[in-house]
Amino acid sequence: MNPRRTVTLLILTAVLIGLGVAVALTVNLMPEEASRQAQMVDGLFRGLMGVATVIFLGVEGALLYAVLRFRRRRGDETDGLAVHGNNALEAIWIAIPALIVIVISFASFRVLIASGASEPQPLVVEVVGRQFVWEFRYPEADVVSSELHLPLNRQVRFAISSDDVIHSLWIPVFRVKQDATPGRVAEMVITPTRAGRYPIRCAEFCGAAHTTMTSEVVVESAEEFAAWLQAQQVAGMSGGAGQAGRQLFTQYGCSACHALADAGARGTVGPSLDGIGTTAASRVPGLDARAYIEQSILDPHAFVAEGFPSGVMPPSFGERLSQEQLRALIDYLLSQ
Amino acid sequence: MTQDAATHSGTFAAGRALGLDHLKLGTWLFLASEVMFFGGLIAAFLHYKVNSPSPQAGLLSVPLVGANTFVLLTSSFTVVQGLAAIRRGKRGGLMAYLALTILLGAAFLAGQAYEFSSLYREGVTLQSSVFGSSFFTLTGFHGMHVFTGLVWASSTLLRAARGHYSAEDHGGVEVFGLYWHFVDIVWIVLFTIIYLV
Amino acid sequence: MSAEPVAAPTSNWRRYFGWNTDHKVIGVQYMVTTFLFFLLGGLLAVLIRTELARPGQDLVDGTQFNRLFTNHGSLMIFLWIIPVLAGFGNYLIPLMIGAKDMAFPRLNALSYWLIPPAGILMIVSFFVGAADTGWTAYVPLSISAPDGQTLWALSIVLLGVSSILGGINFIATVVTMRAEGLTFGRLPLFVWGMLATALLMVVATPVLSAGLVLVAMDRIAGTLFFSVGVGGDPILWQNLFWFYSHPAVYIMVLPAMGIVSEILPVFARKPIFGYKAIAASSMAIAILGMLVWAHHMFASGMDPRLRIPYMITSMIIAVPTGVKIFSWLGTIWDGKLRFTTPMLFALGFISMFLIGGITGIFLASIPVDLHVTDTYFVVAHLHFVLFGGSVSAVYAGLYYWFPKITGRMYDERLGKAHFWMNFIGTNLAYLPMFLVGLLGMPRRVADYAPEFTSLNFLASIGAFILAISTVPFLYNAIVSWATGPKAEANPWRARTLEWQTTSPPPAHNFPVPPHVTGGPYDYGEQAPSTSLAPAPAAGK
Repeated sequence: MNPRRTVTLLILTAVLIGLGVAVALTVNLMPEEASRQAQMVDGLFRGLMGVATVIFLGVEGALLYAVLRFRRRRGDETDGLAVHGNNALEAIWIAIPALIVIVISFASFRVLIASGASEPQPLVVEVVGRQFVWEFRYPEADVVSSELHLPLNRQVRFAISSDDVIHSLWIPVFRVKQDATPGRVAEMVITPTRAGRYPIRCAEFCGAAHTTMTSEVVVESAEEFAAWLQAQQVAGMSGGAGQAGRQLFTQYGCSACHALADAGARGTVGPSLDGIGTTAASRVPGLDARAYIEQSILDPHAFVAEGFPSGVMPPSFGERLSQEQLRALIDYLLSQ
Repeated sequence: MTQDAATHSGTFAAGRALGLDHLKLGTWLFLASEVMFFGGLIAAFLHYKVNSPSPQAGLLSVPLVGANTFVLLTSSFTVVQGLAAIRRGKRGGLMAYLALTILLGAAFLAGQAYEFSSLYREGVTLQSSVFGSSFFTLTGFHGMHVFTGLVWASSTLLRAARGHYSAEDHGGVEVFGLYWHFVDIVWIVLFTIIYLV
Repeated sequence: MSAEPVAAPTSNWRRYFGWNTDHKVIGVQYMVTTFLFFLLGGLLAVLIRTELARPGQDLVDGTQFNRLFTNHGSLMIFLWIIPVLAGFGNYLIPLMIGAKDMAFPRLNALSYWLIPPAGILMIVSFFVGAADTGWTAYVPLSISAPDGQTLWALSIVLLGVSSILGGINFIATVVTMRAEGLTFGRLPLFVWGMLATALLMVVATPVLSAGLVLVAMDRIAGTLFFSVGVGGDPILWQNLFWFYSHPAVYIMVLPAMGIVSEILPVFARKPIFGYKAIAASSMAIAILGMLVWAHHMFASGMDPRLRIPYMITSMIIAVPTGVKIFSWLGTIWDGKLRFTTPMLFALGFISMFLIGGITGIFLASIPVDLHVTDTYFVVAHLHFVLFGGSVSAVYAGLYYWFPKITGRMYDERLGKAHFWMNFIGTNLAYLPMFLVGLLGMPRRVADYAPEFTSLNFLASIGAFILAISTVPFLYNAIVSWATGPKAEANPWRARTLEWQTTSPPPAHNFPVPPHVTGGPYDYGEQAPSTSLAPAPAAGK
């Protein structure tokens, strides 16, 4: 290859690499980094962005250049050069990409190991996904909650499972997700590093209300977390019937599909339950208010409110709720 | 008419240079796909055998099914003999061995039916356990393949009776033979992983 | 030059509506039927993007939305891309290898005729409680899904059988029916691509069938394969499903890459650069492609250590893919480029598939994947490879072989308009999806956080442009087929065998069996452009 071509090629390569580095250092396409893992993943991602920039600009650039420079001249019906290949060039464009993917694999492996490394005294949180709400359990404190609270800078070990179908716990600002599979417990470790309130999304399609299966994680100081945990314990033990019923309403996912102002629920998949205490008696002839509400929970397809789809509400609450829980829930709804 | 269009005149010289007959090649490819199909069912069976073992597996009858396996293996032998016969132009020999094959194959199915019904009486069904589900599905599909093979064997027998095959032209018998051996080999694998291991 | 060509037969349109064993008729049947399903799947996409143009669920409720994306994916994959490429294979393989027809013409017709009933089953399933669990139909959700799910499963099984039989036919044909002089070293790259594809069709599809059998039995016969309480394992379904469905994406792209390899040399007037490497890369991708499937399961809870070999194989597969892209660049470099519609679509393929391919590397990296899997990042990636990639190549092929198939020329200006709408629409529709996926939008959702509104709105505009872009194509195809200017045998001055016979070809393709003396891409050679001569009359 002639020296001028070599120089041009070298300059172009340098420019491309420069652009790649610039992109890697400045372009940020990710949401906030709120965990140690996020920092590591973002570093890897930015590296990949740099490589991608070089490859993308290089290939698209060559394509664009070729399209502009090698147009057929008007009237020229002859063939081009009979070049079938170039062994050296082909060897290079096998070797360099192979090298690149090896380096990327290695870098990914390192981040994978580092992001899963154990830290002392992790907080254990059990997560149960069910249609269509997340349940977070703190076994050491005997607390169950539909909102996730985590202390800053302390590693959390999630043990994730499901009661019904496959869900996936995804916390974008933490940069990890793990499927919640029935019959299986999946582990995920995270060390939150930034206080705040962040979205939790279900990332494995799980049915009619997959879209609204959301929750929030609150990352707070160790003191605030301890205070919250204690408040949950107190509420669980001594809350009145209304408190217990309201908690069950959220815990078992009713809030995902039904609106109920008292519980702060805004679900739209099923009918609103505001005022259900009054209207329940007149829904189905022969069923009084209590009987109607009980039937709606245990056998949801027996009577479906006008304008709402059948076959959506899980028919399994009878198995999941104990007698006391069922009574508490019905009492609560009757009071609305 | 277009069937003849694809028959092989002097045109496919580069293709024929490999010495592969399209019918045989097609059959091998089909059998490859069948192997993969059984592979999927076998994977399911083995996965559950290892990860969700069931006491119901203890109800399997190795001696009975072992004998049945011998019967099926013998039927492969009779197919080989039948093919050898028609290669020498012996139409009668082919027919006799085909008939034997059908008998042995039917005996195998009868044996399987007996095993299935004994298990059923002991409470092993498609719905009784994951073992029941995977056992009956896997052996059931194999049985369906044996049955299809018997129908095919009968049709081959009929064609042999009508003088369809000769020493020079018996491709259809070879193809049937390949299928029948495949069914046999699958059974050997199944018997091993279900009954012996 | 060959003997006086037999006059092209009058196009009897009735042939296309019945049982016919001529591979050219079957090929057209495939292409037209699958295009109808493409339009139907596209309609569902328009509905999805209309719902997603703004936050809030206003157009359809959750269940209806789930049916939309389930059937969109299923139609596009099983009733459009896989079979339309099989249709190209059907039409072109015998012609490209100098044969009169496929090895098994009746099996070929059967492969086609499995498609309309399968399609009808899928459409009917819509009305009996449609499949609504995604094209991936994960268990246990799909076990308790409405009745339509069973019809859906049956439809896929039928389509799988069609695919397997087609694959058997392709391999047998290519191996045993090549004309005199057509060694494997002179096989057109489209045929190499189809050969690799056929291997996958035969070997991978049956595993999906096995999985579907298990799901169907759980649904109908009360078996316990996926009953978690008694030892059933949902991950088993994922493994069986992806064992096929990953190679399936190569089934969807290898023939498309073959089409690109056919078109570039013709409109660059240069040989294909790196023929051996491209042929080898097709086979390498097919084989490697069977070893990567668990990269769809990195977040599934599978054994964490087992993920690593799959990351490695998924990264390695980028190398043969890159070989193709660089070879294509080498082909057009220093060429004499003519920007006909097929050439534009082929170049568009390269530029858009590149984006899909690069983002594939992101997905192969486990830590990155754990953030982006099951999000709109994946939706963007798959649409760049399948729409920006495969569909562009299908359009390229439809335009390129239009004169050969119909005997008439299409309108270039409409073709170019179609190309630009397609190129702009694709980029506009799918680039924003990368961004919302990274920022936190999962896939298969009917609503999203308000901060994702403008990106989603842009994506929807792109989708609407794509919908409209089909209009110039349909108009062009229909009107040109009916009344376009008559096309010559070889309007592109190409060198593969299908161009050395009339447009359209006569009943048995070649009036005299071809005898090949050179490669299919020998542009620029000093020797004259013919690469075949009629076989000598008697002996040689």
